[in-house]
Amino acid sequence: MKKILLSMLLVLAAFSAFGCEAKTETEAITIDFWHMSPVGSESYAATKAIINSFNDSQDRYFIKGTGFSFWDYWDKIAVAISSRTAPDIGLSTIDDVVTRAEAGVLYNITDLIAADPGSIDLGELYQSQLDFATYDGDLYALPFTATCRVLYYNLDMFETVGLTEDDVPHTWSELYTVAKQLDVVNDQGEIQQLGFDPTYGNATYHGWLWEAGLDFFDEDLNPTLNTQEYVDILNWIIDFNGEYSRSQLTAFGDANTMLGINPFAGERVAMMVETDGLYQTIKNSGADFNYGVTYIPIPDDNGIRVNWGSGFSIEMYDNGKGEDDQKQGAWEFYKYLMSYDVQMELSTANGWIMAHKGAMQTVSVGDPILTRLIEEVQYARDKVYVPYAPSWHGNDWQPYYNNALTGEMTAAEALAAARENYLQKKANWEATHQG
Amino acid sequence: MSKTSSVKKLKKQENLVGYLFASPWLLGLIVLGLFPILLSFYFSFTNYNMISAPTFVGFENYRILLTNDNLFWKSMYNTVYHVVIAVPLGIFVGISLALLLNNKIRGISVYRTMFYLPNVVSIVAMTLLWMWLFQPNFGLINQLLKPLYNLFHMEPIGWYLDQNLSKLTLILMGLWTAGGSMVIYLAQMQDIPTTLYESAEIDGAGWWQKTFHITLPLMTPSIFFNFIMGLIGSFQVFTIAYIMTNGGPSRSTYYYAYYLFDKMMIDKAMGMASAMAWILLVIVLVVTILALRLNKYVFYLGEEA
Repeated sequence: MKKILLSMLLVLAAFSAFGCEAKTETEAITIDFWHMSPVGSESYAATKAIINSFNDSQDRYFIKGTGFSFWDYWDKIAVAISSRTAPDIGLSTIDDVVTRAEAGVLYNITDLIAADPGSIDLGELYQSQLDFATYDGDLYALPFTATCRVLYYNLDMFETVGLTEDDVPHTWSELYTVAKQLDVVNDQGEIQQLGFDPTYGNATYHGWLWEAGLDFFDEDLNPTLNTQEYVDILNWIIDFNGEYSRSQLTAFGDANTMLGINPFAGERVAMMVETDGLYQTIKNSGADFNYGVTYIPIPDDNGIRVNWGSGFSIEMYDNGKGEDDQKQGAWEFYKYLMSYDVQMELSTANGWIMAHKGAMQTVSVGDPILTRLIEEVQYARDKVYVPYAPSWHGNDWQPYYNNALTGEMTAAEALAAARENYLQKKANWEATHQG
Repeated sequence: MSKTSSVKKLKKQENLVGYLFASPWLLGLIVLGLFPILLSFYFSFTNYNMISAPTFVGFENYRILLTNDNLFWKSMYNTVYHVVIAVPLGIFVGISLALLLNNKIRGISVYRTMFYLPNVVSIVAMTLLWMWLFQPNFGLINQLLKPLYNLFHMEPIGWYLDQNLSKLTLILMGLWTAGGSMVIYLAQMQDIPTTLYESAEIDGAGWWQKTFHITLPLMTPSIFFNFIMGLIGSFQVFTIAYIMTNGGPSRSTYYYAYYLFDKMMIDKAMGMASAMAWILLVIVLVVTILALRLNKYVFYLGEEA
């Protein structure tokens, strides 16, 4: 009995040993790729197809894609990077690539391109985006997608008041004149339709400032906001629909946002500043009204054609474990993701504006709206990354902005208070970052 | 002598077995509890952006928070405001509900269940629901109050969108879950011997006297428990403001825990956030110790007077 048991064990051990050896020889190296197309999302199918296609094309590497929703992604990736368990490849925000490059958690893309000539044509990418991905003269990420903001206008609404596409506004004064013709208010004073509001959609105070050649910070990242021009622009925003109370405007806006309806897509606002994403939303909703897009109107004197655009970066994470095979595999997939074909495929399937100019030109053929959106990408500019106030345009600014809009503070008071807050944050940041 | 040593040996063995059985919990406590707590204490003396290695800055984080951070004090004020009003109000509503539902009427268990039900609703769903109800322009509450507004020629109440009322709105909303503490009060109420009420009735006591001289004094242990738990919980108020108001309008609902969260997730200042956590711990500890002194006013049934 003992002998039988022993021989059975030996056979089992031999099988396991051979099994292990065979597995090691054929097993592909797993490359982790984190993206924002989880199961159930609209973009899941296309992302999955692209990963499968890469996996099928070779057997040395196996791409394991993990999708998180946009809202969950940032916490996950931040924790993974800090615990040095980041995926081999992942998406992130392009405006703060420098912070990660500085911390040494990203692979140097310039070195990888230099070692693999012809792998990626940087000429196909927007220089403004590449600048954000550059640290100490080298690239540490590449732009994966691009975004822009434009003025959407409803041509059906234009037509009802006798306006045509030729009347689409391009300056702030034209915008005001046209917008006022498109307002509709009922007998009870309730807004039924609004021509335009400079706070609706994705219009931002810093966006309006940029058009006037101003910004929140100077070149040394000191807060500005302390001249009359800033006050004037904020007052222009506040007074644009001055004939209505803020509560009327809020009520009208809330009625849309609480129902999750974009006011422009819901045909309640005639003109609105929005991102390129609205185009896809309108398409998906099957809306049948006539509309167009153009650049955001600029100040009448010396206005600058610019819009706030950003995009996701694609990054290769260095977890400090010297994993050369992982790095090589990640690079192969990285090149694949940045290729003309894949960029085109992702744009076609998901409606995203990808970073690859050539791919986007092909995709936009025969699509006038997309063509205009892509045209605006070249005028897009990302917000500067301010280490002492990473959310300078959001968390740090919004309370003051709201106070100015609701009349709790005058424009000058709100700007002064916001500047004070930035200065305090700067001083505190410097106190803990000496040396 | 040998008997003593073998007893000692047995005790040692028994201890060892005890520790062995407790080891999963001990391991959990050390790895998931103690280690992060100690680490956060260390982080509170560092500058740590969660990507680069932490660098030691001494007491700088504490100094900045206490002496040069307006939002720290603003969020502290908001939190204390919430604690001071929400905790007593929660106790009052909980006790009132318990008194109301401590009756032997038909279908009382249905009523009790109804009042407890909000506690099983997800706080996110609850917040979104109340957002709709309190919405100043088309929310149900203002629609119901419309005749009153018209009668007194008033502007509709702004609720959570009015910076002067936003904190109170969130407190009011929180009362919806008073059924949780009500259950505890109710349980204790039903523990009160009926003989006490019978004697009181013989002495001619009415509802008022019975409530204030029997019910409430004998409920002090559960009131005390809910008071302490309420204090600790209220200092950590976060979710409702995060979902409903984003800390606004004008930072009026920007609570301490919210600011701590933003310090970590938005400003990427883990060191500062850790310092905030330790300051909060000290505050809660001191307040709880002070509150525990009220224990002498708590009457435990069965205890000698």
